Amino acid sequence: MRRGTAFALPAVVLIAWELASASGWLSTRVLPEPLAVLRAFWTLSLSGEIWHHVAVSTWRALSGFALGGSLALVLGLLTGSSRTAETLLDSTLQMLRNIPPLALIPLVILWFGIDESAKLFLVSLGVFFPIYINTFHGIRSVDKGLIEMARSYGLSGWPLYRDVILPGALPAILVGVRFSLGFMWVILIVAETISAQAGIGYMTMNAREFLQTDVVLVGILLYALLGKLADLLSKGLERWWLRWHPGYQAADARA
Amino acid sequence: MHPYELELEAVALGALVPPVNETRREPVRGQPRVADAAAKFPLTLDDDQPASSGTAVATRGLSKSYGQRRVLADIDLRIAPGEFVAIVGRSGCGKSTLLRLLAGLDDADAGGITFDGATRAQDLRGHRSDTRIMFQEARLLPWKSVVDNVALGLAAKGGRQRALDALAQVGLVERAGDWPAVLSGGQRQRVALARALVHAPRLLLLDEPLGALDALTRIEMQRLIESLWQRHGFTAVLVTHDVSEAIALADRVLLIDEHRIAFDQRIELARPRSRGQGGFAQHEQRLLDRVLAAPPSTVAAEPVHASADEVLS
Repeated sequence: MRRGTAFALPAVVLIAWELASASGWLSTRVLPEPLAVLRAFWTLSLSGEIWHHVAVSTWRALSGFALGGSLALVLGLLTGSSRTAETLLDSTLQMLRNIPPLALIPLVILWFGIDESAKLFLVSLGVFFPIYINTFHGIRSVDKGLIEMARSYGLSGWPLYRDVILPGALPAILVGVRFSLGFMWVILIVAETISAQAGIGYMTMNAREFLQTDVVLVGILLYALLGKLADLLSKGLERWWLRWHPGYQAADARA
Repeated sequence: MHPYELELEAVALGALVPPVNETRREPVRGQPRVADAAAKFPLTLDDDQPASSGTAVATRGLSKSYGQRRVLADIDLRIAPGEFVAIVGRSGCGKSTLLRLLAGLDDADAGGITFDGATRAQDLRGHRSDTRIMFQEARLLPWKSVVDNVALGLAAKGGRQRALDALAQVGLVERAGDWPAVLSGGQRQRVALARALVHAPRLLLLDEPLGALDALTRIEMQRLIESLWQRHGFTAVLVTHDVSEAIALADRVLLIDEHRIAFDQRIELARPRSRGQGGFAQHEQRLLDRVLAAPPSTVAAEPVHASADEVLS
């Protein structure tokens, strides 16, 4: 019942949109009718063209995420765990954080040209800071009482890290992961619209040249879909890794 | 007020009956009396448990300050193997600090502690493998199941079985697979007790572990702690603000006031004790008088634990 209500508004908007387009009130140059978008999606997927673009974009997003995310995790763990590393690195990183990654585009083009490494660099930079900051904060906010308890039970070094500090920081780290997964697509869209030979951004920019609004819309919807997928994935990770946490349990498990 | 507390008050009022066979001891101030008592102390242990399974603890000139604030001064204390000692005192009197020094969680400014006559054999951080501490909060790792919490610090091989055995001793073996978040406060403390016991400690330090529990659960926990102490024969040091709890459990009750041990009372009542027992109320009254006679402590709250700066090290 509640699920149905949640989808009521999008359904109404979709029907109104279709009616407006069909009656000619809404020009196809502004917005194509929903059915045309569906048709465009269908022909693109039949030709296999769309899957090629999706694969290229997803690969860019994930490899950038893996690179920037793991670097952020390592540095966050380091500065969170050691005061020396914090004084050495943290203020520098906080300074860099204030530069919007997209402001670096001119420099990135000069450095890397317009090939894959430029996109990889931008995505990595974009996902870096949310994960870094949350990891740092997560490590610092681990309950000191638990650390003291574990030490008095003889835990130290890696066992202490594995059993107490990392799991304690995990909720915060996952918040950072979720945030950066959203940001990952934003950066990628911009990077791909600037210059690319493949990818969803390339597809939409190409379609714009030929006034194919239906294909442009397919591209936009694809981004939304992929973003939602990434979000679901991180939600799933939270459910599994934080299943001990009363705040993250599935609704049916709580009842 | 909790409904059970009313009932318990009634029990307490009924307890004001004349003493039957209470051994009268005048409260004596000063240290020689303490040492003397420890030397002659008779152990109330099961026959099958050797008295040597508890650690003998002695402190000499133990002092501790936090910044300008003096907490403990020149504490001389001797605890016999297997003895159950309760430390009472006003909030902020330093009783928890004494326990933290015994546990090796903090370092003393002056003086020393010996265990079984030897200076402490300990790892770099000052923790002894045969000493375990129970805190006021259970401090269970929320991301580990109950049984994995109990098995913390045990070798992977055989650790789980030992943890299950310890859980059985506190009556929680059927909750082994649950997350700590779904347990009640009393159950969490029982898990913490099992976690301490699984290491077969020779010295168990209890830092107000029952302070946050409701009255009925407290009594259950007191009985559980007493029976496990009788069974295993470890030395126990209990810090509490509850005078009747101290009398219910301890062989000896120490009062800390003005940074020193102000009062040392041996409790020679038969176990298990109840508040209706002859002599219980007299002990309680005398201790309360001593606590209340002392001027209110000028020190503020007790210090929080030292911040763990370098968690990697």
